[in-house]
Amino acid sequence: MSGTHSSLPAPVARVWEPLLERSRSKRALLLMAPLLLFELLLFVAPFLILLRISVTEGSTDLRYAPGTWSLEGYAEVFSTDVLLSAIAYSFKMGLTATAITVVIATGYAYAIWRAEGLLKSVLLFSVILPLLTTLVIKTYAFWPLLSPTGTVNDVLVSLNLISEPIQFVPGTIGVIVGQVYIVLPYAVLAIYSVLSTMDWGLVEAARDLGASRPRASLEIVVPQAMPGIIVATVISFAWSVGAYAAPGLLGAGDDLAFALEVEQRLLSNLQWEVATAYALVMLLLMLVSVAALTAVLNVFGGEFEYA
Amino acid sequence: MSEITLSGLEKRYGDTLAVEDVSVTIDDGELLCLLGPSGSGKSTTLRMLAGLETPTDGTIHIGDEDVTDRPAYERTTATVFQDWALFPHKTVIENVAFGLKMEGVGKTERRERARGMLERVRMESHADENPMNLSGGQKQRVALARALAVNPDVLLLDEPLSNLDKRLSEDMQIELREIHEEFEETFVHVTHDQDEAFTLADRIGIMAEGNLVQVGEPDEVYENPKNRFIEGFLGDTNFVEGTVERTTPDSIRVETELGREVVLSTANPDALTEGTSLTLSLRPEILSTESAESGSEDDATGRPALADGSTTNSIVGTVENVLYRGSTVRYSVAVDGTSMFVERTVADSGEFDAGDEVRISWDGADVLAFRDDGSRVDL
Repeated sequence: MSGTHSSLPAPVARVWEPLLERSRSKRALLLMAPLLLFELLLFVAPFLILLRISVTEGSTDLRYAPGTWSLEGYAEVFSTDVLLSAIAYSFKMGLTATAITVVIATGYAYAIWRAEGLLKSVLLFSVILPLLTTLVIKTYAFWPLLSPTGTVNDVLVSLNLISEPIQFVPGTIGVIVGQVYIVLPYAVLAIYSVLSTMDWGLVEAARDLGASRPRASLEIVVPQAMPGIIVATVISFAWSVGAYAAPGLLGAGDDLAFALEVEQRLLSNLQWEVATAYALVMLLLMLVSVAALTAVLNVFGGEFEYA
Repeated sequence: MSEITLSGLEKRYGDTLAVEDVSVTIDDGELLCLLGPSGSGKSTTLRMLAGLETPTDGTIHIGDEDVTDRPAYERTTATVFQDWALFPHKTVIENVAFGLKMEGVGKTERRERARGMLERVRMESHADENPMNLSGGQKQRVALARALAVNPDVLLLDEPLSNLDKRLSEDMQIELREIHEEFEETFVHVTHDQDEAFTLADRIGIMAEGNLVQVGEPDEVYENPKNRFIEGFLGDTNFVEGTVERTTPDSIRVETELGREVVLSTANPDALTEGTSLTLSLRPEILSTESAESGSEDDATGRPALADGSTTNSIVGTVENVLYRGSTVRYSVAVDGTSMFVERTVADSGEFDAGDEVRISWDGADVLAFRDDGSRVDL
């Protein structure tokens, strides 16, 4: 109606223009005010403060030197091997945990989708149940299970599958198991919510046309479930790369995740300019990698709608 | 060779018996319609043929091979589903090419063949569209092309026309007939619509409560229904309850709820004994109707005119309701407390109004009679 053609890139315009249209009404703006205020106070303002601290000078007696301007925090990040290797560790651990989570979650969601009656309820409830337990307890629970004197090693040794107990916890395997366990319910629910709207008749049609069961799943179910798989991947990846609890509770000395380093700089070393610069570099890397992941997954048939 | 033999097919879901006993041989190149009300087991039978359900008893042979336990993807059948089941994330042509892709046909060839099939159903201009944006009739054509593209020995159609409007459905019936003649494949078509079955079928198999009750050519099942259910299902009719009063060597007199005797002609007078209760079927097409004033006088006596041994029956009633049904007019007529209906085409001379006295007459030889258990009396 207004005749103004936006020069914004298409994906941005798709989100922005309906908002613009709606905000012409003062009533809509008024209704959105609490949300805007909430976001402003609890997200935008702290983020700007973080940004400001990251470009200050360090201080020997304070956490940082207020009012100063400097890029030494960033310089420290890029010149400290421990910090850079923690980024590498977090990404490697995050990718591994994400891959394992998404594969298990897809299978599990498929099972819930196909199950009927009581079995379906049991499978669904088993996903919800861990969410009702506090993170620290369920992460610590892997100690009695996976430590060298834990249940899993006892069983493996008594079955003569291994001669010596393996130290899963503390260690990288333990961290990955713990992290997968933390994010799995969210991934399952994200994929299941998409699968549950899918018509089983499509799979039957594929089988009728000569697709074997695995082939039908690959050709029909996976592309259809792709929006859910993308959401599951992004949730798992973002959470796992930024993981704090699993590496902190289940990791060994060399399981130095980025979040643990931030804590170290923030609370022990009192180098806030370094901690904030580190966090912002990580945030940027995360945004880039999530965008890349989504783009890659989109190639596999999921027409993911952004709006 | 794709003759199909079903023998003693049964499908049980827990305590529910979906299909009880279906045995039939479908000839190569035949178009068989499985006709029945919903819940009669016709779709389940089709799904067993497709391999999407495993029968709990009985066998299925396609050609000489026993395919009872063979999975759907290894059968030479292809199905057009009721809701068409087009893959929403694939384009129209990818949908049609899907079966060929599963067979391992190369990309160029399968696209070419899929395009040819789309041309056959006049959908080639929509090849690169998302099937979800098509209309019902277009989806139907794509689904048909997708099933035909794999060149199946048997094409199974599971009520594919039931989601289309009447006009479109009738057009598709004719087109399906043409495609059937062109491809010379065996078609098994499931429907609950009698008109559809009569238009399409070489033979109709009528299903009720999990059983295949009668299989025959359309005119045969219509004119010679095996039982009362089929007579009622294949078209509207007047069922009249009655009791055999007297049998003679060539006729049976039945005392009916119409308040008077109905005379049936018979070549088999021993089929019934006096006192047997019967249901008579008076189809609207055997009834002729005229204004009561022009009729003969003998109706007042309440006796049918049978002096010369003919079995012409007639009764007088009062028009209660007039229902215009497009090309025909249906009159509901009150006769001695019960009511029956007659139909006249609009072209017939003279229309009746509610309250008019009309005389309904018919030839007793055209009446079908059924016993209490639903079985037909062989007159």
